[in-house]
Amino acid sequence: MTERAANDTEYESLTGEELISRLREAEETLEAIRTGAVDAVVIAGSQGQQVYTLENADRPYRVLVEQMQEGAITLSERGTILYCNERFATLVASPHDSIIGQPLTRYVSVDEGRVLSNMIATGAGPGVSGEFGIVNCLGHEVPVNISLIDLKVDEAMPRLVCGIVTDLTSSRMRTRELSAANERLANEIVERRKTEENLQLTLDAAEMGIWELDLSDNRMRCSLRHDRIFGNATSPVPFDLAALADRFVPEDQHKVREAFETARASGAVEFEHRIRRASDNAVRWVNVKGRTFYDGKRPVRITGVTADITQRREVDEQLRQAQKMEAVGQLTGGIAHDFNNLLMIIGGSLDMLGRRMSGDERVVRLFEAARQAVARGSKLNQQLLAFSRRQNLQIEVVQINDLIPTFEHLLDRAVGETVKTKFVSGTDLWECRTDPHQLETAIVNLAINARDAMPQGGELVIKTANRRVDEAFASRWEASAGEYAMISVGDTGVGMSAEVLAHVFEPFFTTKDVGKGTGLGLSQVYGFAKQSGGFVAVTSAPGRGTVIEVFLRRSTDSVPIVRKPAEATLETGTGVVLVVEDDADVRATTSGMLQDLGYSVLSAATGSAALEIIQANAGLDLVFSDVVMPDGMSGVELARRIGLVRPALPVLLTSGYTAQRAIPELPTGERALLKKPFSHSDLSIAIRKIMASVSAT
Amino acid sequence: MMDSNGAADDTAEFNLRLYVAGQTPKSLAAIANLQKICEENLAGRYKIEVIDLVVSPQLAAGDQIVAIPTLVRRLPPPLKRMIGDLSNSEKVIVGLDLRPIGKSRT
Repeated sequence: MTERAANDTEYESLTGEELISRLREAEETLEAIRTGAVDAVVIAGSQGQQVYTLENADRPYRVLVEQMQEGAITLSERGTILYCNERFATLVASPHDSIIGQPLTRYVSVDEGRVLSNMIATGAGPGVSGEFGIVNCLGHEVPVNISLIDLKVDEAMPRLVCGIVTDLTSSRMRTRELSAANERLANEIVERRKTEENLQLTLDAAEMGIWELDLSDNRMRCSLRHDRIFGNATSPVPFDLAALADRFVPEDQHKVREAFETARASGAVEFEHRIRRASDNAVRWVNVKGRTFYDGKRPVRITGVTADITQRREVDEQLRQAQKMEAVGQLTGGIAHDFNNLLMIIGGSLDMLGRRMSGDERVVRLFEAARQAVARGSKLNQQLLAFSRRQNLQIEVVQINDLIPTFEHLLDRAVGETVKTKFVSGTDLWECRTDPHQLETAIVNLAINARDAMPQGGELVIKTANRRVDEAFASRWEASAGEYAMISVGDTGVGMSAEVLAHVFEPFFTTKDVGKGTGLGLSQVYGFAKQSGGFVAVTSAPGRGTVIEVFLRRSTDSVPIVRKPAEATLETGTGVVLVVEDDADVRATTSGMLQDLGYSVLSAATGSAALEIIQANAGLDLVFSDVVMPDGMSGVELARRIGLVRPALPVLLTSGYTAQRAIPELPTGERALLKKPFSHSDLSIAIRKIMASVSAT
Repeated sequence: MMDSNGAADDTAEFNLRLYVAGQTPKSLAAIANLQKICEENLAGRYKIEVIDLVVSPQLAAGDQIVAIPTLVRRLPPPLKRMIGDLSNSEKVIVGLDLRPIGKSRT
């Protein structure tokens, strides 16, 4: 008012021109207001100047409130909704119009409504907020945050409260996603730990140690199992590459260092070498396998596993040995078979020559030398066959302790005076199945070896005992577990090195000087024991003597078969004998021997030729046939066919080969088989026996 | 009056004062238009003072502001005023520069 008065007085002092200017200004202002060139005016009120914006002047604010992504409300003091924006309407899923005038508490649960009313009533003041669940008109609950603040526009206006309603659904969802992600992570960690544990378990089960070599300083980190393989103390010991290499046996150390050096470039390391185990100083084979990891092109570490493979190496070695023995056995058996035939011819011819010999002393001496050579050759052949397990064993149930007097007698002569012999018989020794003759030979062979191992004299101990053999022990000697009667020959001699031990059973392997041993002794023992279903075990070390144990499978047959004593006379006879033999020389020799004995002889080279002769000659008394013949029909088959056409015609088979199975039996129950090479006398007795048994029936 | 409001009168040839009311559309438009016109025509020779009457309504009295936005040319004399959002730049140039509408008062 005062200003207005001032203005009034001002106008009075103005010139006309100035008044016109003022008027123009006033008109311009009015024109501007009229045309909408302005959107706010200044009004002088009771409280001084105030600015009023025109109707749409606050549009930016309104648009802001209307379009923002939070719900906005204005409430009366009592909580009635006076205004709400679009977003709030969407939240409660109602048309805008039906919301205005409703109490805000309508949209929350009863319990929460009380809290909300209280919040509104006690005055939002500088601002309060809380989380509520809005139940919208579709019945869905929407989690929200409601924050309220008193709206002060004008002193004169009633108290208003405005609020911002924030939808928490997506933030809750994010929280849930976050916690789900957390859970997944936790599960993955558990899973990974499990995998690690499994790996550990696997490595443990495989008895593998893990190691990691840091190439920057050559330090190694090792698992407990790794330490155990190397025989370290229980607490982990610091290890580096140099210390690792030092654990290997001296001749392998540089190879180990080289392998690791190469691995830096090649990317992998793998070797099998021997270590000296710290805990018991034992030499063990280990397999080390690893992979190099690079940082770019620079090798940074090598990680890998180590396993003690001593047992595997041993098994491999045993297998190799077994295969070698088998191969050597087959070869030996084949050679022995052919030699048998040669010896047959030589022996048979000598026998016949002997009967036609003049009394010239020198000729007789030469003749005897030849005969002895044949006998020795025959014996060697027996041993070869024994080794190749192709001799005919006369298996009986034997109580080894009963044989000891025989052994004593034999060994006294064999071992000489410098060696003291001692017998230790086990009590209640089990019976076993074996050929007692071959066992005698075996024991004599062993005793001779023992004697030779003790050139300065010593003690020879023959021991018998019952043994229950477990799988582990049996597998070392290519045998099976079970109950055995054992007879051992031990000496206090020079013993054998591991290298020698590895070859002892091989035929013709000997440590004796040339001419002193055939190298067949232990081979005979080995083959004989195997063929009897037993095995031989050797314990020896240089300077500590040798113990060789022969294990023979326990027999449960109660009645021992009685052996017949061998006869040694030349028995002549009469009758017609058909000789069937593919080898022309053997056939001629055998025929000659039979003719010398007084028999009439027919001969055939094959089984089928023999059958024709049999059909044509009713007066035939005996067929004497080789078992193994090349044209397809074996002696056994021939015997079977003869049984069909001439059941009364006896057949005697001869073979130097393999333990034959289908040997025809004589009426007495004995097998009609004559072992090759046979002497004139052997042949005469065998034929005589058959002739006798045939004529007896 | 000019002296009483003539704060920080410096070397600028044109001293302009724009009265606005918060962020009303015309106020926002006037600020933008004025800046553009000055930059194009008076580069380096002007100074703009924006007065928000919502924040300090009492300042309306000094230049007898009734409608907003209003632009007042305080220098060079004489004092001139222009009402509106200044969207017609031709009119603004003429009004402010070339032809004084009335004699200034001291």
